[in-house]
Amino acid sequence: MSHETTQRRANYLGIFIILIVLTLVETLVSYVQQEAIKFPVLVVLSVIKAVLVLLYFMHLKFDSRVYTYLFIAGCVLAIPLILVMTIVMPVIARYH
Amino acid sequence: MSEVINTAPVSQDDNTKVGMWVFLGGEVVFFAALILIFLLSRLVHADYSAQFRSHLSIPIIALNTFILVTSSYFIVRALEAISHGEGKGLRNNLFVVIVLGLMFLSGQAFEWTSLFKEGVTFSTAFGMPFFTVTGIHGTHVFVGVLWAIYLLVSHRRIPYTQENHLGIENFGLYWHFVDIVWIVLFTLIYLI
Repeated sequence: MSHETTQRRANYLGIFIILIVLTLVETLVSYVQQEAIKFPVLVVLSVIKAVLVLLYFMHLKFDSRVYTYLFIAGCVLAIPLILVMTIVMPVIARYH
Repeated sequence: MSEVINTAPVSQDDNTKVGMWVFLGGEVVFFAALILIFLLSRLVHADYSAQFRSHLSIPIIALNTFILVTSSYFIVRALEAISHGEGKGLRNNLFVVIVLGLMFLSGQAFEWTSLFKEGVTFSTAFGMPFFTVTGIHGTHVFVGVLWAIYLLVSHRRIPYTQENHLGIENFGLYWHFVDIVWIVLFTLIYLI
């Protein structure tokens, strides 16, 4: 059990408040009509929220790097799948 | 916040935690495929997609997102409590997580029921991927709630301690991951 690592904790309440504020901002931004602004802002906010949860709530920032590598391995494995599906799915849809 | 980077190897006691991270890595691939199917079907059926989106209620889903993010915070509090040997704190925070998980599922059930009433069903081109993605995520939340109940019950029989609470930590990892998936789905399905 990684006692030293879990004891080296972050300001969880602070992270939680940031997550709530970002969710509120996202919700408000979703009502913006300009897609050129809305899309990148929402994607960036979503990524920031996901990374905050990974780093602080899931302790990747403090735990052994092995866990980070395992998670990144999953993300890397998803890339060829995404590429193949992006190519194949529209082709299949065209014939339906 | 500490800037210390831990490069220490994983201890043998953490085997189940390694297993949990391997599982979560696999879940990334699984959800990536599901989300991609949803996005591609949205691109292919652009007209239907716009029509469908008019049925979605952003405020209700935003509330559901607040609920799930809050539940993640309470899991962290549960882990904090037991790392300090506070069994009562663990119990109370786990109970809140269960309640919040059930509230999230109720919100989703309300959303689905509203959509069914408006004629959006599984058999529609956009409904099928929507219900599949949100349904599988909801199933993960349901499994998480059952898991939390199990932890609460098992804690009554054999209490978790300051030294032995890996079961809580592994559950926390699972629950946070489910939260992350929802953060992504909230943006891709409802906001964009």
